[in-house]
Amino acid sequence: MAEIKHHAYLFDATRCIDCRACMVACSVENNIPMDKTRIWVAGIGIKGEYPELERGTMVYHCMHCDHPDCMSACPVGAYTKAEDGPVTYNPDVCIGCRYCMNACPFGVPHFDYDKGIIDGAFIDKCTFCPQRIYNGEEPACVQTCPTDALEYGDREELIAKAHARIAAHPDRYIDHVYGEKENGGTSYLIISHIPFSELGLPTLPETPVNEVSEKVMEMTIPFALSWGAVLSGVAAGVHMYNKNKEEKEGEAKPEKKAEVEK
Amino acid sequence: MKLNITLPKFLRIGLFPAILIVLMAIAAVVALIRYTYGIGPISDLSNSYPWGFWISFDLFTGVAIGSGAFVMAAVVYIFELKEFKPLLRPSVLTGFLGYIMVVIALLVDLGHPERIWYMMIHWNHTSVLLEIGICVMSYLTVLAIEFAPVILENYPKLHNIAHLIHKFIMPFVILGVVLSTLHQSSLGSLLLIQPAKLHPLWWTPILPVMFFTSAISVGLSMIIFESSMSSRYFQRGLEIHLLEKLAKALPIALGVYLVLKFGELAVAGELGLLFTSGTMSVLFWAEILIGVIFPIVWFSFKTNRVNPNRLLTGAVVTLLGLILNRFNVSWFAVKHPDPLYYLPTFMSNVKYVPTLPEVAVSIGIFSAGIMAFGLLAKYFPVFEDEHPAAAHAGD
Repeated sequence: MAEIKHHAYLFDATRCIDCRACMVACSVENNIPMDKTRIWVAGIGIKGEYPELERGTMVYHCMHCDHPDCMSACPVGAYTKAEDGPVTYNPDVCIGCRYCMNACPFGVPHFDYDKGIIDGAFIDKCTFCPQRIYNGEEPACVQTCPTDALEYGDREELIAKAHARIAAHPDRYIDHVYGEKENGGTSYLIISHIPFSELGLPTLPETPVNEVSEKVMEMTIPFALSWGAVLSGVAAGVHMYNKNKEEKEGEAKPEKKAEVEK
Repeated sequence: MKLNITLPKFLRIGLFPAILIVLMAIAAVVALIRYTYGIGPISDLSNSYPWGFWISFDLFTGVAIGSGAFVMAAVVYIFELKEFKPLLRPSVLTGFLGYIMVVIALLVDLGHPERIWYMMIHWNHTSVLLEIGICVMSYLTVLAIEFAPVILENYPKLHNIAHLIHKFIMPFVILGVVLSTLHQSSLGSLLLIQPAKLHPLWWTPILPVMFFTSAISVGLSMIIFESSMSSRYFQRGLEIHLLEKLAKALPIALGVYLVLKFGELAVAGELGLLFTSGTMSVLFWAEILIGVIFPIVWFSFKTNRVNPNRLLTGAVVTLLGLILNRFNVSWFAVKHPDPLYYLPTFMSNVKYVPTLPEVAVSIGIFSAGIMAFGLLAKYFPVFEDEHPAAAHAGD
């Protein structure tokens, strides 16, 4: 396998046969209990009338965004984005606020709702199988996929591959590689024969959803300092004004008394 | 009213405090279950709905109704409108207890409550939630300092400290107002990261400005509400001449908010959504009519401002409307991932209806707040400068 600069997945919805072997492989590889999973299969089921049947399924797990919203949102910095792709979660600092779950437009991080404080309730999500990819192996889900619906490789190469495949079969695919630009780019790329929204994927702009909130956060400290200065100025001004007024009134009173005496 | 059972003297309490204690006990039991078995068994929260009633009610509403403290501190200390001083202490106390209630509720909601202090050492500077956490922690300290003289004045030996605080109060007041501005607005910023989930009637880049503007109105209404309620419960005079002035400011504050609300929609070209979004349009109009337009009209009439009952009614309606806004933004108008075919069990719960235990926790915490307010007001000079004559004149 060629050297990989930016780890990525490519998912081809036309190839997925909904066997869900990826889910099993992931759970076995990462030792995930049976009632939990880091990967799930979403889809539209079977649509249409025989013989015009249509079916679309999608293997859904962490998109490993280039500008992760979970990472932007996490107050304690439990998420890290590796330069070569994977977004990882560190349970040791997580406080369990679940803001990452709200922030993620894909609804990826999930939480241990059935754990008390002794067991510890944590967030769980796809790790990109670092134990495998950094040892020259494919992630477990990719390795197990019987139809090559899931592929793994360098992001640039996979994008080229996806476009080439769409170009070769324009009748079969929608002319779009989901994840190439969505949310500022993701490391999970999807091509499909049915609209992406029907696969459960949100329609997102090319700018990451955290853009506005990060801009607002950048303004916080300058705003706080200038607001503090303004308030101090107002307080000082009001105080001076009131003091002057009192002094004038104080001066005015004896004069009045003097007038009365006259 | 006394309980009819023969109890030792220290256990003889009124019916109202007794109910509060029962509600607190229920909440404590629910919290115990939550800490043992997790959040799932007692709530309807799920991976589709990670935030629910606790966040909308305890965090969003709790912080908003605590805004009376900074509004009053600014009025009395920064603008030196000393006549409002009698309203300052109860407002600061409401804020202080309100924020403690927020923190207690978060200790139930957080997956790792024992790690809440990690916010002090692990900083992710792009996180709005971090800003809120730091501001709330710092502001609680400021409120404690602002309120401390009330306790200290009761003990002659501690008068020196109270005097010292009085002398250097200004920096704390300004810090308090800055921190309040930051976190009141940041509660709005918290939703900025959800442009794909929050309905466009509410999502706007100026959400923080909206939240700050409406927080001022919540603060003013809250002061009217809490003064009216405590004057009834403690049978003390009502500072109606002061409350009348606050009520006069409400239409102005809400007017600014109204212009912002519709101005933003007009600029974004989303005015059409006001009529085409079904339930969302109804919710939007409900919060605008109840929480903004009604009070603007109501408080514009002097008869409604000088009559204690009408004043209280107006404040309650305003609060309900503005609280509906907080619920809309943090819950009702947030769209979570759709149910799809073959979703595993952990994603299956896509409807969220708060459970009874969830609500019980919030009610219990709220009861504790009312209890604490009552006890502090009973044993410490929370209502200072209260001269029977002045109070009478106010009537």
